[in-house]
Amino acid sequence: MLPYIGRRLLQSVPLLVGVSIIAFALMHLAPGGPLAVYTLNPTITNQDIERIRIVLGLDQPVHVQYFKWALGMFSGNWGNTFFGGRPVLDVILERMPATFLLMGSALSLAILIGCTIGVLGAIRRYSVFDMLATSGAMIALSFPTFWFGLMAIYFFAVKLGWLPSGGMNELGEEGNLLDTLRHLILPVMVLALVITAIWSRYTRSAFLEVMHQDYMRTAKAKGLHARQRLLSHALPNALKPLIALLGIELPALFSGALVTETIFGWPGMGRLFVDALTMKEYPILMGMIMFTALFVIAGNLIADILIAALDPRVRLS
Amino acid sequence: MSASSGFRLSRRGVIAGGLAAPLVLPSGIRTGHAQSINKDRIILGMTQEPVQFNPLLWVNAGTENIPEVCMFDALWDVDENGTFFPNLAAKMPTKENGGISPDGLIWKVELRSDVKWTDGQKFTAKDVEFTYQSIMNPGIAIRSRSGFDLIKNFKVVDDTHIEMELSKPFIPFAWAWQNMHIVPHHLLSKEADINKSAWNAMPVGTGPFLLKQRVAGSHMIYERNPNYHRGAPKVRQFIHKFVPDQTVLYGQIKTGEIDYMGLSGVPNDRWTEARAIPDRVLMSVPQPWVQFIYFNCGKPQFKDARVRKALTMACEMQKSIDDVYYGTTPRTLSYLQPTHWAYNNKLKDYTNDPTGAAKLLDEAGWKIGADGIREKDGVKLKFSCSTTAGVPARQNTQALFQQNWKKIGVEMEIKNMPASVVWGEYTTKSQFDTLLVAWEPTVGMDPDYTARCHSKQIPVKGGVGSNYVQYENAEVDRLLELGVTQGNPEDRKVTYGRIQEILNEEVPFAAQLGTVQGNLAKKQMTGIKTSGYTVNCAWNIHEWGWA
Repeated sequence: MLPYIGRRLLQSVPLLVGVSIIAFALMHLAPGGPLAVYTLNPTITNQDIERIRIVLGLDQPVHVQYFKWALGMFSGNWGNTFFGGRPVLDVILERMPATFLLMGSALSLAILIGCTIGVLGAIRRYSVFDMLATSGAMIALSFPTFWFGLMAIYFFAVKLGWLPSGGMNELGEEGNLLDTLRHLILPVMVLALVITAIWSRYTRSAFLEVMHQDYMRTAKAKGLHARQRLLSHALPNALKPLIALLGIELPALFSGALVTETIFGWPGMGRLFVDALTMKEYPILMGMIMFTALFVIAGNLIADILIAALDPRVRLS
Repeated sequence: MSASSGFRLSRRGVIAGGLAAPLVLPSGIRTGHAQSINKDRIILGMTQEPVQFNPLLWVNAGTENIPEVCMFDALWDVDENGTFFPNLAAKMPTKENGGISPDGLIWKVELRSDVKWTDGQKFTAKDVEFTYQSIMNPGIAIRSRSGFDLIKNFKVVDDTHIEMELSKPFIPFAWAWQNMHIVPHHLLSKEADINKSAWNAMPVGTGPFLLKQRVAGSHMIYERNPNYHRGAPKVRQFIHKFVPDQTVLYGQIKTGEIDYMGLSGVPNDRWTEARAIPDRVLMSVPQPWVQFIYFNCGKPQFKDARVRKALTMACEMQKSIDDVYYGTTPRTLSYLQPTHWAYNNKLKDYTNDPTGAAKLLDEAGWKIGADGIREKDGVKLKFSCSTTAGVPARQNTQALFQQNWKKIGVEMEIKNMPASVVWGEYTTKSQFDTLLVAWEPTVGMDPDYTARCHSKQIPVKGGVGSNYVQYENAEVDRLLELGVTQGNPEDRKVTYGRIQEILNEEVPFAAQLGTVQGNLAKKQMTGIKTSGYTVNCAWNIHEWGWA
């Protein structure tokens, strides 16, 4: 196992380099740039803009800029933001806990509920419950997240006044767990609604496929109890595609949810990305892209290891 | 037995969940409809978040003005009537009090002697000198040096007196110092690179508040500076909260989660509703920006002033305000807001006249071709109009003008782009045909407009300014040069009035509306003064309080 993990991690190095080159090149190839914000100032002269270009290091050829950035990354210096001049790593790390909390809660809840609905739907195929679950999932997937978000705020915050409409804490209540929990309810509910719908559909299909296999029929013929058939036979086999799905969704723990974070004013990575993209904050964008790439690699690696642990036929060699 | 017999939802689990809910919900109820006011603090909500707190380095006006006004001071400020009054300076220099020499070249500033930085150090003339030196330092990403580049000689006379000699008389010079707040010499002079200094994120100033805490993406908490030289603020705490979605921010002022809704204000279509909310006051705050159609006079279609005027005549300007902006914004005929002291009230609005427009185009030689589009000397009267993509009000405005122009045989194509593209070289290198753009005056709120329309300020012709429309008029040049030397406001009003007249006839940019923002505040708040001379809704934050 360990040599396998080591090999995969080594393989990820050229992958990360490739990602960084493509991302850096695309960002600089895209029209516009961070200096556009200065042109909104009517008193700025072209000479001023050139001076700022030099201060920000944007006057150098793109490949030189890339090597400087890459060298910095290699030595642990992720650079400084263009606007604010703060270390990029600090800017990213201060947003991470909020996104982990939001996405972690939403994913855990959604997976728990989604899997339960999916399993029940598979077991009671074409029952009223199954049909309701299927229709519910379709509705949840069809409506845009921002609509759900605004509706949730309208009813629960504005009309009923039960829950806060946004933010992560009441002002001055930072660190108050109960307060954070209250603020989590609406965004988690909105996010979980969509993720639950996805997971219920995947789980249902995965279980339906497994439950019609010969070994399931054999288990039933052997007289095994339904619970035992499900836990010992169906579950390990049906989990494989779901674990692969989890591996794909893991990067969302870092990247956050753009729309939900914006609607609910959640101070996470999604909003940081939107702001950085608007301002063309190349250093922040590069930092976030590299972090996301790391999470993608880690997510897939963990999924592969888990699948191998579940299925003895898969060899990690 | 069905296959599902072993799997049922646990009632115990459901009950447990139900019992846990009240732990969470009752405290939530407190925030929603209680609407109680904490008179110890004021919460200002905005859709944008400041990232740069160094007053010399910020770039996002409106948003980053808030930390600036909380923590720093300028030599002088401007009140809601556009009049300068001293802040760190002991008095406003004028020709009458000897602060400005008769030829306008020497500015003598006396500073207050009772001002301290919030770390206890005394504020002196050395801080002003250091601020000036930082502004002129080519290694610092200063957003503008306008005005400061005219200083030929800067002299510290003593701790409370400075003298500046200008290379030419420049009355709007006062605006330069108003826009750049003073930074501390004793702290920043030790920094190797001010652009990356940690001080920028937790600065020390002379202002009415001290930054106590910043929660990235959420809010900033300021505490009162009890030793503030203009008197301690009325509230102990000021909180700047960031809610990125405008609709949600509007919801928060309704629920009472914030006390004042600033940038970006109440959406235009909600003003009527907002006025009816109990215990809230809606304020229509004039913003410095005027929205224009920018004609690129360097393009063959727009070289002739008659074409530009005809296109303006064809536009239903008032309809665009009524239909697109719900009648919330004032019509302006100049680059100044109609409430500006130098606005020329005698200008004539000749828009919404398609017949006159068609006649003028005929006179100018632009005849309707076989395809229904006007042409002259092989040039078709067709062009693009660009602005920031994804701004519905601007898109609707463009669509209306597109229809207006089609009626007179002119074809316009809407070509919108992301902000970082359209306002980049596409604008600064005059690559556009027309733009729909909102811009403010060029030197603070002074009526000087040299940067935008002086013939020596065209970047693509080697100029240093922002005359992106490539407009050239010798008479306008002369008047602009005269206006910045006139000390008497009445004389200046005449000069700038004439400039506005010429621009209204030659139309390098057709003014559509003066932007306003619908700020909504709790009725019990006191001290709020809305001003059309700043983009900063909290410009007098030290006076804010509760009844």
